Amino acid sequence: MKTYLLLAWRNLWRNRRRTLIASASIFFAVIFALLMRSMQEGSYDYMVDASVSMYTGYIQVHAKDYWDKRSIDKSMKLSQTKICKIDSVKHVTLITPRLESFSLISYGNVTKVASIVGIDPELENEMTDLKNKLIFGKYLIENSKGVMIAEGLAKLLKVEIGDSIVLYGQGYHGVTAAAQVEVEGIVKFTLPALNKTMVYLSLDYAQWLYAAPNRVTSLSIMIDQAKKINEVHLAVRNLFDEKYEVMMWSELMPELVQSIEVDNAGGIIMLGILYVVIGFGIFGTVMMMTAERTKEFGILISIGMKKWRLSFVSFLESLFLSFIGVLAGIIVSIPILYYLKQNPIPLTGEMANVMLKFGLDPIIPFRFAANIFVDQFLTVLVIAMISALYPLSYIRKLNPVKAMRK
Amino acid sequence: MRILSINIFITVFFLLTVIGHSQDAKEIIKKSDELIKSKSSYAEVTMTVVKTDWTRTITMKNWSLEPHYAIIYITAPARDKGTVTLKRKKEVWNWIPAAQKVIKIPPSMMLQSWMGSDFTNDDLVKESSVVNDYTHTLLGEEKFAGYDCYKIESIPKPDAGVVWGKLLIWVAKNEYFQLKVEFFDEDEFIVKTYIGNDIKEMGGRIIPTHWEMLPIDRPDEKTIFIYNKIEFNYNVNETFFSERNMKRVR
Repeated sequence: MKTYLLLAWRNLWRNRRRTLIASASIFFAVIFALLMRSMQEGSYDYMVDASVSMYTGYIQVHAKDYWDKRSIDKSMKLSQTKICKIDSVKHVTLITPRLESFSLISYGNVTKVASIVGIDPELENEMTDLKNKLIFGKYLIENSKGVMIAEGLAKLLKVEIGDSIVLYGQGYHGVTAAAQVEVEGIVKFTLPALNKTMVYLSLDYAQWLYAAPNRVTSLSIMIDQAKKINEVHLAVRNLFDEKYEVMMWSELMPELVQSIEVDNAGGIIMLGILYVVIGFGIFGTVMMMTAERTKEFGILISIGMKKWRLSFVSFLESLFLSFIGVLAGIIVSIPILYYLKQNPIPLTGEMANVMLKFGLDPIIPFRFAANIFVDQFLTVLVIAMISALYPLSYIRKLNPVKAMRK
Repeated sequence: MRILSINIFITVFFLLTVIGHSQDAKEIIKKSDELIKSKSSYAEVTMTVVKTDWTRTITMKNWSLEPHYAIIYITAPARDKGTVTLKRKKEVWNWIPAAQKVIKIPPSMMLQSWMGSDFTNDDLVKESSVVNDYTHTLLGEEKFAGYDCYKIESIPKPDAGVVWGKLLIWVAKNEYFQLKVEFFDEDEFIVKTYIGNDIKEMGGRIIPTHWEMLPIDRPDEKTIFIYNKIEFNYNVNETFFSERNMKRVR
């Protein structure tokens, strides 16, 4: 066995240039496939992360049926110990309570329907970075009796800081929720859907207004590593009985999952095309190598070398070749991808504006994770092995006399 | 020739009976509708909404001028006291004393529940007429809750803006009040039932003063109306139903 390995290794370096060219074709293929995949998966990670921290969180806890009905009647009362228990689940970084409802908001003669959210101002800020979106006035404080409204909505109502608006809706169990409140702050969202509807109250005040003391409609949970979501989801769900629903972002935002799936399908087709190109590149190199050595093979067989031994040695050669290419590709791309992960490529111009409009930073993010490397390593290796079958069949059919005459 | 004229006679006779019957049924419905309505009225009503895990009781005063105008003044619970709903034709306004403000309900909120009840704002302004929007057929006579009743099937006319597919109405034979109404959807499935009882004299008429609406798919829920006082042909005119007057009614 050792002899075969040694033979194959020596054969490789007998024609150094040929070996280098062949492994270089694999090397670049690996780097290219890795970059593409990392960019794609990175952008999905980024989209998910940006979306969950924009509002929903990775996981939400509601009372059963809340998500379907969106009614404040399906709110829940949670004890501090329960929240502490969630907090102690591994990977949970933040828990934000909210009391959400729809109500009328009126100023002067204008009345609009708005999404009213009672928040814990500090926790909300940690999760959604709300304080940075404040453009006028001051940020809500705990127990605050004022409101913060979205800039688009403020424009529609023509209100400014210090004006008193009227909130009118339905509270818990049909109670009328009506109050006159002062606009304390105006926040600007990049997403029009939020910018035209959001109204923030302090949680305490919202609970008073909607006659729902100590009640919340949702708990949003942030975690430190997106890939641990299933583990955390299970752990949190085990803390609650069937009177509650514990949902992941993929259930909360099915449209995001869909758009990722559609994009990913496109990405996989591109990757498939890339693999075909890579495959033919490798196959071409192998074919050329084999053809080049026809005479050598002929001589070896005619002086008594068994065909299967020769096949085996040449198979080992292809294997080494692929390994060298793939490993070199991975070793080189690790620092590149790591760098790109830390320093995403900034976008400019039209594309940047589009992303900003959706509330995303204008960057091309990358994913740096083991699974990408493993996937590409295995795929390219399999392609190389399939190409390595060519010399086997070539040797099997080889006629030594004809081969030597070449 | 003789056979033909007999045929015509028979056809005409059947047509007449059919028309006669439907006239009958319509007449019954009309009488029963007029019994609980008048051009103008004033009523004091207690509404109780019973849900699986909570109930809510609202008492109110209600002025109305058929068919376009109504004012509802809430007297209890304390938190809602003073809230006024004004209906003028297709529009609804609310006076909110807590905010000292009149709000016109925008179209997008018309399908929202009114005062936490099973009724929507849209139900308040809908002006469908049981009498004219349906074709009535007398199905027969039946005893219900101790009264001899006409059982009438009412099918909405094609152009009527009605959500129901069919109504079955039990009308007391002598007194003409409606004791029971079954509401069917367009697929002929029963959706809810109205039951009227506690029949007594009120406002000079003998009427059911305790109404219940029972949704069929949620057996432990219902909405109850109890009339505490009712005055028919109340002296009120259109100017009463103004935005200004909303803030003044008690």
